[in-house]
Amino acid sequence: MFRKPVTRFTAVVAAGLLALASACSPGETVDDEDPQAAPSEGQSVEEGQFAGETLNYLYFTDGPDEQATRDNIARFEEEYDVTVNLEILPYSDLVSSLQARLSGGNAPDVVRLTGLGEFAADLLPLDEYLGSEFADEFLEGPMLAVRNNSDQMIAVPSDLTMNGPFVNVEMFEEAGVELPSTEEPWTWEEMLAAAKEVQQATGSSYAFAMDKSGHRLSTILSQYGTALLNDDGFALDKEKAVAALQPLVDMMAADEMPRDFWLGSGSRYEGANEIFLARETPVYLSGSWQVGQFVNNAEFEWAAVPNPCADECGGFPGGKFMAALSASENPQLAAEFVRFMNTTESQEHFAAVSGNLPTRADLAESGVTYDDAAQAAMDVFIADLNRTPDLGFAANSQPAFGPSATALVEQVSEVVAGNKELTAAMDDLQPEVESIVEEMGSW
Amino acid sequence: MVTVATATRAGSETPRRRRTPWGLRLAPYLFLLPNMVIFGVFTIYPAFSGVNISLYESPNGRVFRWVGLGNYERILTSDEFWRVARQTITYAFAYVALSLVLATIAAVLVNQQRRGKAFFRASLFVPVLVSPVVVGLVFGWILERQGGLLNNMLGAIGIDPIPWLVDGTWAMISIIGVGVWTQLGFYMLILLAGLQAIDPSLYEAARMDGASGWQQFWGITLPLLKPSALVVLILGTIHGFQAFDFIWTLTGGGPVGATTLIVQYIYENGFISPIRYGTAAAGGVILFLAVFTLTLVNWFLSRGKED
Repeated sequence: MFRKPVTRFTAVVAAGLLALASACSPGETVDDEDPQAAPSEGQSVEEGQFAGETLNYLYFTDGPDEQATRDNIARFEEEYDVTVNLEILPYSDLVSSLQARLSGGNAPDVVRLTGLGEFAADLLPLDEYLGSEFADEFLEGPMLAVRNNSDQMIAVPSDLTMNGPFVNVEMFEEAGVELPSTEEPWTWEEMLAAAKEVQQATGSSYAFAMDKSGHRLSTILSQYGTALLNDDGFALDKEKAVAALQPLVDMMAADEMPRDFWLGSGSRYEGANEIFLARETPVYLSGSWQVGQFVNNAEFEWAAVPNPCADECGGFPGGKFMAALSASENPQLAAEFVRFMNTTESQEHFAAVSGNLPTRADLAESGVTYDDAAQAAMDVFIADLNRTPDLGFAANSQPAFGPSATALVEQVSEVVAGNKELTAAMDDLQPEVESIVEEMGSW
Repeated sequence: MVTVATATRAGSETPRRRRTPWGLRLAPYLFLLPNMVIFGVFTIYPAFSGVNISLYESPNGRVFRWVGLGNYERILTSDEFWRVARQTITYAFAYVALSLVLATIAAVLVNQQRRGKAFFRASLFVPVLVSPVVVGLVFGWILERQGGLLNNMLGAIGIDPIPWLVDGTWAMISIIGVGVWTQLGFYMLILLAGLQAIDPSLYEAARMDGASGWQQFWGITLPLLKPSALVVLILGTIHGFQAFDFIWTLTGGGPVGATTLIVQYIYENGFISPIRYGTAAAGGVILFLAVFTLTLVNWFLSRGKED
């Protein structure tokens, strides 16, 4: 009875063992050599040098930025007599697609990324082509994230976002509660007290909502003077972290913040913008990228208000990068494209149309003219940019920031679910983050 | 030797077997070839490649570091893995048991219908055709604690809102229920085919002997339905252990990991930073071995009882 199946089973096991026995490395194996520093002198570009050539730009879009990118590409094509293939992917496919293309020897020339850690070894050091002085054209904070271990610039911060709160102005007016001015932000206590007062006066479902995101939690940590990471690894001051996060936990327990929203999406990121748009909360902590959406979709008067202060003021930065790939067949053209797309003219157009903040120092100083409906909100974010402490930029620039922030969300979720105290959660977070930093640093 | 052999065959009384032309013998394999090539390239090769990758670690699929059995050790000594394994076994066991019972009931009821059999069969089968992502989103709205359809209906009869998706135990019950709902029609069709293959004269004979409806069900229907039930058992076990897509959109594996099953564990290792392709591959191998072993056990037990 068992003879036949056993024979098949044996065959399968034997085949497996054979495969194991003949196993060879599925790809390039690593050694422990340190990366070598590359020369960092710029290369000049002559007129017509790239005429007739083609360049592939792998891109994801948040919406309005696509047209701005196409406009800038059209100017580049005209000026350099080249063709740029803009390949637009859904953001969720970007990383896996780029890895597959690098594995298959089909790398694009230039790519738009939200983080550099996973591709740091594949990106073209730009100093060699653009000159080391090129870095001086950008704000210092965003530039912290684009240096590799050999201090080479491997990308350009192409646009910047800033976390911060939005308010439903109509609900505040109905409740007779005043909003802060751009110059005099609320403290955290003042903001939450105002939010609760508006909730009671208007009968809204919640007083306060925020995206379920470690990046957003880091905004509050930064305002309380601490951060998950710095250049040396785990940097969280647990006492400050508890002071920063306990009010959120308490508000979720009291249904002043949407607890189900936090617990109901597992390990996934979840934006609370629909709660704000449905007028279920007077205050919503998110970021500057929401401005375009609110201009188009909000059916009430809204405003961005300055980030509240605790030990520090200002928000928490995020943003995207443009990078050229070392595997590009024409690295000089790729580097020149990155430079062109981040000139004052190009970035001003991109920031104005996409509703992002500029990363160029000259534009941050002079300001950008946005759509009329967005200008006031963007001015608030630009003002907060100047108040944002360096520890936020330093934390966000760490390769391990993303997974560490996810670990923070999971620990806070445990507290919200009633499984542990916040102090214990912060204690448990430390070895977890240290392990992530060690693991990612080992590559 | 050849001459003797030929003479022997010629001398025998049995008619000489005509040799099938080689082209005809080859034809079935040629028809199978395209499918086998696709199967080989997209299933067999990746499966063996996965075993190979499980012996390395990689953050990007291009650079690999040999770790031997380190990934298996890492998984098998991880508390998270064993929590996920327990949840997967709970889900799979409940899913298979409920699917088998409910699909059998549905198949028997549909089979007894004199009118509208096709309508009921199609109604039960429709969820199989719905995208798992849509299933997750729709049930997300239905099962919301505040304002969800189900809690609104329960509220109308005086029952307090139930935290379907935000309490660990209720969330597990929810995903089991939704999982059963999505595949019930498929299993029902298999069992319905089994029911319709039962010779009606057996029931006639039983009725003539005075057997009640229950006696006919226990004495005829269930035993003769066993081969179809075995198919449901095996497919259900495989589906149960591989559940992921609708759970990802419904609960995201939450609250706080209470509905994270093994495939999500593999997915998160393979595609969410910090990416660990080797660990994900090792998880895939462990899942394969578990499902393969359970399928063999099911098969042997069933064969043993038949014998």
